[in-house]
Amino acid sequence: MTVQLTRSAAEPGQDTTTIKGLWVKPVDIHGDYLDNGNNKKAIQQGDKLLKKHKDLHCAKVLKAIGLQRTGKQDEAFILAQEVATLEPTDDNSLQALTILYREMHRPELVTKLYEAAVKKVPLSEEYHSHLFMAYARVGEYKKMQQAGMALYKIVPKNPYYFWSVMSLVMQAISAQDERLAQTMFLPLAERMVEKMVKEEKIEAEAEVQLYFMILERLGKCVEALEVIRGPLGEKLTSELQSRENKCMMLYRRLQRWPECNALAHKLLLRNPDDWQFYPSYFDSLFHLMDQSWSPPKEDEHCSEGSVHHTVAEVVRFVEERIKGEDSKECRPLRGPHLARLELMHRLRERGCPEESLLGEPLELMVQFFGKFGDKPCCITDLKLYLHLLAPEQHVQFINHLSEAVPLGERGEEGFAFPDDTKALQRHLCVCQLSRALGLHHSLDVDGKLLLITELKAHYRHGLKFGMNALKTELQFSDMYCLMAAHVYIDLWTETGDEDMAWRCLGLLQEGLSHSPSNAQFKLLMLLLYCRLGAFEPVVDLYSSLDAKHVQHDTIGFLLTRYAESLGQFAAASQSCNFSLRFFHSNQKDTSEYIIQAYKYGAFEKIPEFIALRNRLNQSLHFAQVRTERMLLDLFLEADIVLSLEESVKAMSLSAEEDDIPWDNMRDNRDLTVFTSWDPKERQLTDEHRRRSLEDEIVWLRIRSLTLRLVASLAALGHVPSQQNSEMINENGVADKPSVHSSLLSQLNQTLQTAAQMAEQRVQRPFLGPPSTRLASALSSGSCQCQAAALQLSVHLQELETAGLDDSSELQTQICNGFKSLAVQLREILTKCKGDLLEMKEAKLQTQPSLLENLIFFVETACIVLWMASYCSKILRPLKTSLQRKKKKKKDANMAMPAVVCGFQELTGSLQDLLTQAQEHIKGQESGTTALKLASLTLEGNTQDEASFMKAAMDKVQSSYLRSLQEVGDLLKKRAETVKNLKI
Amino acid sequence: MSVFLCEVKAHRAAAKMTTLRPFTCDDLFKFNNINLDPLTETYGIPFYLQYLAHWPEYFIVAEAPGGELMGYIMGKAEGSVAREEWHGHVTALSVAPEFRRLGLAAKLMEMLEEISERKGGFFVDLFVRVSNNVAVNMYKRLGYSVYRTVIEYYSASNGEPDEDAYDMRKALSRDTEKKSIIPLPHPVRPEDIE
Repeated sequence: MTVQLTRSAAEPGQDTTTIKGLWVKPVDIHGDYLDNGNNKKAIQQGDKLLKKHKDLHCAKVLKAIGLQRTGKQDEAFILAQEVATLEPTDDNSLQALTILYREMHRPELVTKLYEAAVKKVPLSEEYHSHLFMAYARVGEYKKMQQAGMALYKIVPKNPYYFWSVMSLVMQAISAQDERLAQTMFLPLAERMVEKMVKEEKIEAEAEVQLYFMILERLGKCVEALEVIRGPLGEKLTSELQSRENKCMMLYRRLQRWPECNALAHKLLLRNPDDWQFYPSYFDSLFHLMDQSWSPPKEDEHCSEGSVHHTVAEVVRFVEERIKGEDSKECRPLRGPHLARLELMHRLRERGCPEESLLGEPLELMVQFFGKFGDKPCCITDLKLYLHLLAPEQHVQFINHLSEAVPLGERGEEGFAFPDDTKALQRHLCVCQLSRALGLHHSLDVDGKLLLITELKAHYRHGLKFGMNALKTELQFSDMYCLMAAHVYIDLWTETGDEDMAWRCLGLLQEGLSHSPSNAQFKLLMLLLYCRLGAFEPVVDLYSSLDAKHVQHDTIGFLLTRYAESLGQFAAASQSCNFSLRFFHSNQKDTSEYIIQAYKYGAFEKIPEFIALRNRLNQSLHFAQVRTERMLLDLFLEADIVLSLEESVKAMSLSAEEDDIPWDNMRDNRDLTVFTSWDPKERQLTDEHRRRSLEDEIVWLRIRSLTLRLVASLAALGHVPSQQNSEMINENGVADKPSVHSSLLSQLNQTLQTAAQMAEQRVQRPFLGPPSTRLASALSSGSCQCQAAALQLSVHLQELETAGLDDSSELQTQICNGFKSLAVQLREILTKCKGDLLEMKEAKLQTQPSLLENLIFFVETACIVLWMASYCSKILRPLKTSLQRKKKKKKDANMAMPAVVCGFQELTGSLQDLLTQAQEHIKGQESGTTALKLASLTLEGNTQDEASFMKAAMDKVQSSYLRSLQEVGDLLKKRAETVKNLKI
Repeated sequence: MSVFLCEVKAHRAAAKMTTLRPFTCDDLFKFNNINLDPLTETYGIPFYLQYLAHWPEYFIVAEAPGGELMGYIMGKAEGSVAREEWHGHVTALSVAPEFRRLGLAAKLMEMLEEISERKGGFFVDLFVRVSNNVAVNMYKRLGYSVYRTVIEYYSASNGEPDEDAYDMRKALSRDTEKKSIIPLPHPVRPEDIE
């Protein structure tokens, strides 16, 4: 076995990811069955073997794996523990148990297994290293440190020693108390490495890396610098420019500006396009100026070479680099040109008069455009420096640039077009810059429409350059199309004229027909459809983006924000599932690679992998899909397929448990995924992001509390409350009613915060993060109604204790609650009334908010019905005992208690409301179907444009019908459940 | 070759203007503009972590002055030294649409070749769809030639036929006679390649 941790070395021992190849016959066949997924056969085979050899441990474990994989976890666990308690030391059993425990997500049991094994076989290098890895899987850093040293004592190989050192670093990183890290763990790690250095035992690059990591974390920059620049540093060869990069970082931290400056310009001489060194170069200059630094006498030169300490020198250096690029035969690099603008920006920031040495910003930018205007990234580069122009220069700037764009003769429409793709790119860049300078936004409606006409003309003209493009390639002129779409959106949001949205969708549809893999077209269409209330077309668009894995976390919100709220429940479940599947695999996946990083000595990556795991586990989106998926399941199935109690149990949902990391929530959404050339003041700001995250968290809190309250309602219904009050758990867990009321008060508090937040809503850019459902949930009244329903259950518990006699006041209170619920629910339904889709003056008009309100109505109705079901459970026995009393007294005239009458009234109202809602949906279905979209003339559009627009309208119509159908189906099922409320 | 493979987040203190730097896990959350391209595969997290754990120096990302990711290259070193098959392999190379035509892919390839030179590789190789003319021509310009065709290397999911790949190679200085790039006369099947 090789333990040299080179890349060809395997984990000490064997690869345990597959069972094949580990076994002697006949166990071999058995292993094969497992590997091929034939678990039943594997169990049978295991039984057969066990008959012959009663104590064949690994056969037992293999059987257990079969059981585990066929869903018999409990049996599997018992069987496995039979073997584990014998503390096996044979390879086969140990490895099979490792596999089993990993599949059971019980990695901590693997550590126990190998702890026992090394006790029995104390000199086994293999078992010790398995033990180390088992600790690594569960992050037991202290034990890893000891296991590493134990290994090194048995077999003195460097990697084992450094595993132990790294485990100390991990203890430092994970220490709650930073002082402990700085005064104990890291100094100890440092001493351990120093010992090896002194004994001249350092062998590998990874060991030097780790040494550097330790010194850096200790803030011992001088020592770190010595290591890097000394003989040990010579081992750093894998990563390109590794030593230079590290030196630069250390010079900066040490504020050794002369060295920083000298090294930066030395590296820039070598590669004038390497951006990372320009900031160091410029920063060091300013620091030297601030210190009035002057060069020392000749023999005391800075160790990195000569220093540029005046603006003039630096300007000269940058200009020389530019000259160098300009005189080159091959492709000039844009770095030095951009560096000049960066220098100007920094000089201006400092108020340096020497800015003028560089020239006029407008002139420099025109020059930059002249050289790089035909590159697609020219806009990305220049937009960083547009602020250097005075506002009154904007138009002049654009005119200047336009002069440098070669266009052909003006055609019939009055537009002149480029003759080749380079000219096209230049022209496009001017358009992008105009937009970035706000020149599009200052146009009036007619001006914008004219601009759109021009952009569309350029788009269509440019298609001729890409006649032979593959389906996977973009068209040269695609960005004109996207920009025209952006101007349409400007018009839509400013004037509210929905026709602009339809035209925009039509145009993007046209764009997609020529450029079927353009992700930006798809993303924007997706957003537009959602804003118009249509989720159905989004499913195909998103799936054609082929977003996978981590992309579910970064852009999955585009789906999950809208699917449920627009009434497409099946698609909503599926969207949540995509994301959940990704998140659930994360925990297991990452620990595997943390171990790999130990094996290959990629020590820097270990904290990075752990940070990644946390980032995913703490993802906002993860918490959202977890919560929404469960709510959705309950809305769709609880009390329909299974009872609410059974449903809650099936999803192991507990009211007491809150698994959302509220204080460490990570917003992993990629909010820059939409291309935009908007001017700075219209772009997404950090403040927007912060507010958006705040919104998301408050909304999530409401949803999560609602979910847990529903779970708590189910628990209340499950156990008769007489027993309940005595059931205060010995473990100090509060009893169920008090959990319920604590959750209720949290919900009410959150609703108050939410109401305050909703008041101070800010407009976010169209392409920014979508707003949550919070504001509409509050204005529809659904939040308040749901909270009121959940609140009522508290009074019902009181009634249960008090009984029907002597509780008239309480009964009146409950009856008022019933009445109020019916009124509130009716109000929500009223807010759903109106036509979702209608044709007005030959135009199509949507009202997506009506659809959203309808979903709020459905969700709220579900909760009210669950509450009613709970009421019925309490009232039924009370009523029965009352009737018994009546019979005894032979008093047929005794009046029905108020609460019973009130409840019957409530169920009547619910029945009535659900019927009304279904009728409303039927009406909408026939109304929407009856719309003759084909009869729309869509004046002002070409025939092609009109047909693309109609295609989009058809999709929206079809989507509305589907939503109505899904909502209608659910309401029908819910209406059925009202029958069960008879008491 | 007894080398640990490890690297350092080189620019913790550096400003936003970094260009070429090691790829880190956080970049997974920012690479949509590159990966929403139809020919760029988004792999599962384990795949990236495997590369970051084994060959971190071979996973390089380019970042624009404004902080946008421009493109990245992901590669590894593999093969037997004794059989003169030790080589650098390009697993993925992709540049976002707006940062194309800057020579960035060529720069990233040059870096991968340099790393492979340092490791004493005999050649660098890569697989590319035969239909991807743009890429095939770029690799040819960079000195790569078709070593063999791999039949149905790319499986299609949407009912379209599977696609062949070119296995393209470029000899490094250690392969003085350029033996490693002599083209095979016949195409091979995916199961025949190591």
